[in-house]
Amino acid sequence: MRVRWNKILPATIAGLMLLAILAACTPAATTAPEPTTAPPAAADTALPPEVDPMADLVAAAQAEGMLTTIALPHDWCNYGEVIEGFKAKYGIEVNELNPDAGSGDEIEAIKANQGNMGPQAPDVIDVGFAFGPSSQAEGLIQPYKVATWDSIPDEVKDPDGYWYGDYYGVLSFMVNKDVVTGENPQDWADLLKPEYAGVGLSGDPRVSNQAIQSVYAATLANGGSLDDAQAGLDFFAELNAAGNLVPAISNNALVASGETPIRITWDYNALAGADGMAGNPPVEVVIPATGRFGGVYIQAISAYAPHPNAAKLWMEYLYSDEGQLLWMKGYCHPIREGDMRARGVVPQELLDKLPDVTGAVFPTLDQLTAAAALITENWDAVVGADIKAAP
Amino acid sequence: MAVSTAGSPSVSRRLSLAWLGLLPFFLFAFAFLIAPAASLLIGSFRDSQGALTFQNFLDLSTPSIRNAYWLSIRVSAVTAVVGGVFGFLLAYAVTQAGLPVWVRTGLITFCGVASNFAGVPLAFAFIRVLGRAGVISQMLKNDAGVDIYQLGFNLYSFEGLSLTYLYFQFPLMVLIMAPALDGLKREWREASANLGATSLQYWRLIALPILMPSILGTMILLFGNAFGAYATAFALTGGSLNLVTIQIGAQMRGDVLHNPGLGYALALGMVVIMGVALGLYIWLQRISERWLR
Amino acid sequence: MKKRTNFWGWFWVLLAMVYFLVPLVGTLEFSLEMLRGIRSFAAYQAVFDDPQFAETFLFSNQMALLTIIASLALFVPTAYWVHLRVPRWRPVVEFITLMPFVIPAIVLVFGMIKIYKNPVVIGPVMLLQAPTNSVLGTNALLVAGYVVLAMPYMYRAVDTGLRAMDVRTLTEAAQSLGAGWFTIIVRVILPNLRAALLSGALLTFAIVVGELTLANFLDRPAFGPYLWLLGQHRAYEPAALSIISFGLTWAALGMIYLVSRGRGGQAQVAGAR
Repeated sequence: MRVRWNKILPATIAGLMLLAILAACTPAATTAPEPTTAPPAAADTALPPEVDPMADLVAAAQAEGMLTTIALPHDWCNYGEVIEGFKAKYGIEVNELNPDAGSGDEIEAIKANQGNMGPQAPDVIDVGFAFGPSSQAEGLIQPYKVATWDSIPDEVKDPDGYWYGDYYGVLSFMVNKDVVTGENPQDWADLLKPEYAGVGLSGDPRVSNQAIQSVYAATLANGGSLDDAQAGLDFFAELNAAGNLVPAISNNALVASGETPIRITWDYNALAGADGMAGNPPVEVVIPATGRFGGVYIQAISAYAPHPNAAKLWMEYLYSDEGQLLWMKGYCHPIREGDMRARGVVPQELLDKLPDVTGAVFPTLDQLTAAAALITENWDAVVGADIKAAP
Repeated sequence: MAVSTAGSPSVSRRLSLAWLGLLPFFLFAFAFLIAPAASLLIGSFRDSQGALTFQNFLDLSTPSIRNAYWLSIRVSAVTAVVGGVFGFLLAYAVTQAGLPVWVRTGLITFCGVASNFAGVPLAFAFIRVLGRAGVISQMLKNDAGVDIYQLGFNLYSFEGLSLTYLYFQFPLMVLIMAPALDGLKREWREASANLGATSLQYWRLIALPILMPSILGTMILLFGNAFGAYATAFALTGGSLNLVTIQIGAQMRGDVLHNPGLGYALALGMVVIMGVALGLYIWLQRISERWLR
Repeated sequence: MKKRTNFWGWFWVLLAMVYFLVPLVGTLEFSLEMLRGIRSFAAYQAVFDDPQFAETFLFSNQMALLTIIASLALFVPTAYWVHLRVPRWRPVVEFITLMPFVIPAIVLVFGMIKIYKNPVVIGPVMLLQAPTNSVLGTNALLVAGYVVLAMPYMYRAVDTGLRAMDVRTLTEAAQSLGAGWFTIIVRVILPNLRAALLSGALLTFAIVVGELTLANFLDRPAFGPYLWLLGQHRAYEPAALSIISFGLTWAALGMIYLVSRGRGGQAQVAGAR
């Protein structure tokens, strides 16, 4: 009888593959620990002498053994090092969900995972400013006041402790010097000039916090005020009409490839991106002369957190000087910056690296909401492709 | 081909239980598609505070949303037809035109990968090549003196998006149609040649009628594929092309708008449109089956 | 066999290759530019140095193979039954298979979490512990989700393949020789569907390896999220990763293709040659 290779070979390979799957699937399916081994942050500078109240919390958190975070990309505000530092200091595993989630995703994740004690339920969230009060109203977060609560400015925290600002940044222009060989644009109005063609937003203003703040920021430079974002919309309409605006979502790859040599993004993203490109291409970060716009993000603990003590310990860590300095290393302005500068605990090298953002304005929640409504409703008409004229 | 099914009681008794053969499928679909998506139905009746409302459905008739649906339908229809026609020609080329076997293997496996090459990588690839600072755009401008953007081409437009979508539409058509073309028996071709039919007559009277149900079925697959696509359009046009999927994304996932109820209602609208497209396909199929007889 | 001119064949293929390869070459060229002024594989080196790359790619491959097996087991008998016995149900079945296009993946995953974070019970009897709490359960949910996402493609491929063969005659012939349903499906229908099943498997594989939303929210270490994350902040590595994943997936599909073609050649029609 002829050896039926065309039957045996496939069957053998299929069988081997099946064995490989079964062997590899089950034991290896625990969440892989982070491979990078960044050393923990520099020696504790400002742990208060009364360590004891923390000891209970630390013990309870370690008993829980795990923290689930969401939407924390490692290159954003140096979260990579922050997470490593936390793990190294307390020995608690950090389970990172969905680094690309938007604030809306994080809220939906809490809602969907109510009652789920598994690893899909986030313990802590880091969301845009407007989402604090709304998630509080929906009962999705629980209050907690960290040890350093008093040094957090009042305008960016909830008096009852439900949510609290964590860091802020200022909108900047990230400029590819290979393409923009002459002078950098110094302000929003410069972007209209022909030599600065190729401006890209970092998102869709109807979806992304960063993008909508960009439009809002242009308002200030275009003669508007924080109460009425119409001037910002007009500016972008002008930019689009001049042919300087590239509709694609800009990211570092598009900056490097030259399609959007000028990208409007938070200063910490621009600086981290410039570092990442390491001179290829050379990138400069410009904070606009007028229209300096500050954006605050906030932290909160989920009301349905499967590991509430680990979550609280995480907050303590983030708001300790150690945690705040790690954020600063990622070019973010930590929320307790004023307090830390006054106490002189910020190393000079870090101070030197941060751009000068004096004069940055921070809109209130009401102003943000009103601006968001205006911009999202009118963005299409102002900037969108004219679909009716298409063939 | 239809076997008469009316008639004897024993046949109709068997028929009434025959649907049980579909039970595993229905159970699976219920457990993992319909039940999870049920939240779609329920959620579409809630507003962002959770109260019961019909407002979401009323909002569907605003001009911006009506335009979104129309644009999505147009992009999907155009890429389905263009993708269908050229994909069919490509499938024909590798199966019937006597090319070496390695061409078929290489192309089919390539299509397997390309059919899912979408989102940011695809958008980047096209921007890199045909964007304003794109390699080809620059080459044409500097070496040939032809500025395609001056001539009216714009990657960030309906045409540009369709061109990009075709990158995963062609392969899909090829992958599904190649096996169907295999089913055209060589004897039919030879027999028709023996009877004096030209190539054109062979295709018009024999091959296309046989293949038409598969072609139509695959085109509707292409339509659905484009209709539900999100990541590519978003990355390429930043939301400046107002597609329904982008609207849904904005409502459900974004940092700014947050009315998931509207997002659900939009998705339900898409379900309805897919249903209509399916109805159209079934009708076209009936016509083509008459053609076969 | 009559020799037909290959001109048009080559024409379409070459035209297609130009369209497909130009964007890839553009990406490839960009990925080589990581070090200033010289062409180098530095971006590729950076990607390969990252252990997460291998981990996530392997995991997604495993999930893909499981999805293919599950899809075949579910859709081949279903499509077969629709063709053979219950053609009246075809519109219903086709409508269901087209639904995954219009139900956003995020709705699907949140819906699954909401339902399956509780134990599966019938009355007072617990059938299963909460699937989301165990790794095996979550992996099963992920595979089920992938089967749903691949459903339109896999079902259409199987359906098209069945149309290309005479299902009724083959079945009746096999039955008259005394075959049971299992034998008919496995030994008569499946071999004739080889080309179509292959297409379906290739499509499914590519979908699973690149999938993003389900893996993200079910918290599984898959390749799609890894790809996305890299694309957010790095400039050159994502391009390198695109090329690498394209190449690796192409190689994996090539292997599947060669393995299943056996001796190569066309799908056999039972008895005809």
